Amino acid sequence: MAETPRDARIDRRSFLALAGASAAAAIVGCDSYGSRFQPALATAERGNERVERLLFRHRSEDRIPGGARLTGNAFPQYFVSDTVPMWDEATRGVWRLEVSGAVRRPLSLSLDDLTKLPRVAQSVDHFCVEGWTARAQWIGVRVSELARAVGITNDAQYVDFQSFDSNYHESWDMASAMHHQTLVAYAMDGRYLGAGHGAPARVHSPVKLGYKNTKYLTRVVFMPARNGGYWSDQGYEWYAGT
Amino acid sequence: MTLTKRTHWIVRVTHWINVIALPLMVASGLRIFNAYPAFARKGETFCCYPFAHKPIPAALTLGGWLAGGRHWHFAVMWILVVNALVYLGFIYLHGEWRELAPHRGDAHRAWEMIEFYAFRLKKHPHQGKHNALQKTAYFAMPIVAAIIVLSGIAIWKPVQLHWLTVLFGGYVWARYTHFVAMVLLVLLVLGHVFMVFAVDPYSLRSMVTGWYDEDQSPEARNARPFYHLLPRRKSLAAESHLPKV
Repeated sequence: MAETPRDARIDRRSFLALAGASAAAAIVGCDSYGSRFQPALATAERGNERVERLLFRHRSEDRIPGGARLTGNAFPQYFVSDTVPMWDEATRGVWRLEVSGAVRRPLSLSLDDLTKLPRVAQSVDHFCVEGWTARAQWIGVRVSELARAVGITNDAQYVDFQSFDSNYHESWDMASAMHHQTLVAYAMDGRYLGAGHGAPARVHSPVKLGYKNTKYLTRVVFMPARNGGYWSDQGYEWYAGT
Repeated sequence: MTLTKRTHWIVRVTHWINVIALPLMVASGLRIFNAYPAFARKGETFCCYPFAHKPIPAALTLGGWLAGGRHWHFAVMWILVVNALVYLGFIYLHGEWRELAPHRGDAHRAWEMIEFYAFRLKKHPHQGKHNALQKTAYFAMPIVAAIIVLSGIAIWKPVQLHWLTVLFGGYVWARYTHFVAMVLLVLLVLGHVFMVFAVDPYSLRSMVTGWYDEDQSPEARNARPFYHLLPRRKSLAAESHLPKV
C-alpha cells in the first residue's frame, strides 16, 4: 500500500473519533426533555402519534383471561390534589356531570341519571405509564352513548374530560373516546367508586394510559380542537394510546 | 502488511450508528424502568426478578424523568429499527450473511476457540473472517434485537396489537422479555467490545476505514485475550523492506 492513503485513513479515523467524542459529550451534557434535543424529540412524538392513530382499531379490545383475579384493594389510588378530592355537597350542591360543547342538546346528569343510562360492565386491564398494570371490573356508561345522547356535531373532533381534582383534565382524540371500552365509570369491582378511585364518576378505558383516564369527573366537553391535559402539558405524550 | 478490504461502508455506518443509538436506547429504557422497577402486576407477585423495587442508578439512565425517558426511547427506536433493517437488508442482498450464518461444525469450532483461550490448545484454530465464537455472537445479536423490538411493540400497544402481547404471554411477561433480552444484548455487546480490545484491536481500523491487515489477525498473531496483542516479530520482519513512515 502507498503511504498517502494510509495517512488519509488515519486522519479520517481521528476525525471520526473526535466527532464521536463530541457527540457523546453533547448527549451526556444535557439529558432532560427541555434540552436542545427537544425539537427533534417533539417531531418524533408527532410522528408516533400518526403511527398510533393508524394502528388504532375501533374493534380492538382488551381482554383479560376468564377467571383471572382482579387487583382489588391493591389497585393504586391516585390524585393530584394534596388530599383525597371529595365532592362537598354542602358548598357545591349535588354533583352533576355536564356533557356539553359541540353538541345539540347539552346534558347535566345526576349520578342517578347516569346509572339509568345503558350500562356496561367490563373487566379490563389498567395500563399505567409507569409500567405497572392492574385489573378491575368497571361499571359505567360508554362515552359513545353520552355522545349519542347529546347529539354531537361535526365540530366534535376531540373530547376534554375535566375534573374537580384541582385543575386535572385530559383531552382525547374522538376515535379513542368513542371506543366501546371507553366508559364514564361509576362503579369498580361491583361497588360505587371510592374516594380514592375517582368518586363519583371517572373515565376508564384500556385504550389509553392511566393518566388519560380523568377521575373525579365533572365535565365531558366535545371540542373542535385538542385541549392538552394535566400531564400532557407537562411533557407526557398527549396521545398515550395502548 | 497485507491489507484487504474487509468491511463494507454500509456495515461500518450502521455499526457506528448502533454505537451511539444503542446506549441512548438502553439508558432511556432504564429511566422508564425506574418508574416501576418491578414486574409484578399490582397485588400479585412475580417469580423471576430478584431485584424488584431497586431502581437502576440514575447515572445509567437518560431523560431526567419518566416523560423525558419515554420521549428519547420512542424517538431513538426509529433510528435503531431503520438502521437494523438497512444492515439486515444489506447483508442479505450482498451475501455477507453467509459469514455469520451457522454452519455444520461451528459448535465444535467454537469449543476449539474456548480450548485455545483456556491454553488447552497451543495454536489458534483456523478461521475465516470471524472465529466461531464471534460468528455466534454476531448471529445472535440481530435475533436478540428482534425479540427486543417485538416485545417492545407488545408493551407499547397491548390493546391495539393484543395478539402480539398474547404471543409473549401477556403484558407482564412481554415487559420481562423486553428487559431480559436487553440485558442479554448488552452482555453480548460488552463481550464484543472486550474481545475487540483484548484480542483484535486491529479490527477497529476495518470498522472505520474498511481495511484490515491480515498479518495482524488474531490467527496470525496466535492471540488470546491480552496475549500477543502486538504484531508478531515475523510479520514485522516481513514488513521491514518497506520504507519508514
